Amino acid sequence: MSQIKTIHNPIGSLERFLDLLLISLIVYMTLKGGTSGACAACKYQRRRCAADCPLAPYFPAEQPKLFQNVHRLFGVRSIVKILENLDELQRPEAMKSIIFQSYVRDRNPVHGCLGITQQLQYMIWVAEEELKAVNSQLQLYRNGQNHPNPHNMMIHELGEKQDLTSQLDLGMGLPVNDNNQGNNTIPFFSPVSETQPQPPHMSYCSDQVNNHDYNPTPDSCKEIVNNHNTSLAWGQNQFPYNHHNYGFINQNEHCSETKNNNSVMAIQSQLVNLQMASNQQEEEVDDQNYDEIHQFLEIIDESQSFTETKEVYASSSGESLKEPIDEVGEKELRRAATCFSLTSVN
Amino acid sequence: MSLSYSNYTNSPCAACKFLRRKCTSDCVFAPYFPPEEPLKFANVHRIFGASNVSKILHEVAPHQREDAVNSLAYEAEARLKDPVYGCVGAISVLQREVLRLQRELEETNVDLMRYASCLGGETSAYGGRRG
Repeated sequence: MSQIKTIHNPIGSLERFLDLLLISLIVYMTLKGGTSGACAACKYQRRRCAADCPLAPYFPAEQPKLFQNVHRLFGVRSIVKILENLDELQRPEAMKSIIFQSYVRDRNPVHGCLGITQQLQYMIWVAEEELKAVNSQLQLYRNGQNHPNPHNMMIHELGEKQDLTSQLDLGMGLPVNDNNQGNNTIPFFSPVSETQPQPPHMSYCSDQVNNHDYNPTPDSCKEIVNNHNTSLAWGQNQFPYNHHNYGFINQNEHCSETKNNNSVMAIQSQLVNLQMASNQQEEEVDDQNYDEIHQFLEIIDESQSFTETKEVYASSSGESLKEPIDEVGEKELRRAATCFSLTSVN
Repeated sequence: MSLSYSNYTNSPCAACKFLRRKCTSDCVFAPYFPPEEPLKFANVHRIFGASNVSKILHEVAPHQREDAVNSLAYEAEARLKDPVYGCVGAISVLQREVLRLQRELEETNVDLMRYASCLGGETSAYGGRRG
């Protein structure tokens, strides 16, 4: 009996050895990050994902679309080259911006990030014009002039046609774009230069209109890039590819509402809406579109004040892709917006 | 030799010059990268690569290609100037500005409402204009 036991023992130990090997293999694969182990970049390129894969930290396997977009726009070699020229601390930030840029290009293949830039510039222009109008009206009130007619028009006449002359008489003096009649051009001002007698005209046309008078590389956009060498503090949220409604719209859709109004009327109606219901911005398509864009961008921006930025920044780098995104309401957006931070690079 | 194809008779486009290849009549880059702007293609190629740009151009409609090229040139230049954030930095700055202006506008509107309500109170006291 003892001899039989001796014969069977090697087989038993072999089985035990195989069991141990299987267990260690499973543990290794689990540590690698799943049953497959390869990052999205290596999966897409169908190659083995090495332990020191430079792209693995930024492209998790469960989000293949992220890498597809980046690969489509930049290409692997370009990304690796960009990363090689940066410090360790800067690489996560750079990758986030690259991923964002690629995502935007995927959503808007023609204009990409430039479209968003110009849209924001337009919104700044509109807001500045509104502010000018409101301030001038305030000034009149403060000077003790009683003008009941403009008051009623401002408060009660919602969305109705207004007497442009009377508005101008009040010193609002808004620059009216006379080209709105047919060719749907909407001027936009550069936020950098204060005086601009003839802002470059840019037509936000409907989809069917082909005659673009569009200059996608205005100097103002370049000025913004030149003058603002600041670093962003990214948020701690995961890239929103789990959401279907990413919130970006074709800029033509955004402007198709605005183009139907005279610029003064557009400003007046927006002013009244703000006065009447600060929380009812969904009525305006352009506000809704901005909220959607803002929601997406806010997810990327860090919602911390500058005094807290350094601590949060140190902790957020590398963790930004781990936390899920929560849909935020308008009030939360505004609250978060107050805490945007900028840290200087140099 | 066909004179209707200016690319063939004139100098090659900036892209073909950079890539050191023959600029044919159906070169996809030629209409958008004139030889007078060599830096435009150089930047785009450096960041995105010529093949990616070519694919993007083939994916968009012909009447949108110029816009697409110009936006790519802008993004490439921005990325070269700021390798970390590129053009996204500008977006963030503008977004902050928009929020700041909206906050300021809300505050100013509150002031305006206050004045307006005072005026409304006065008019109602004098004639009941406000129901």
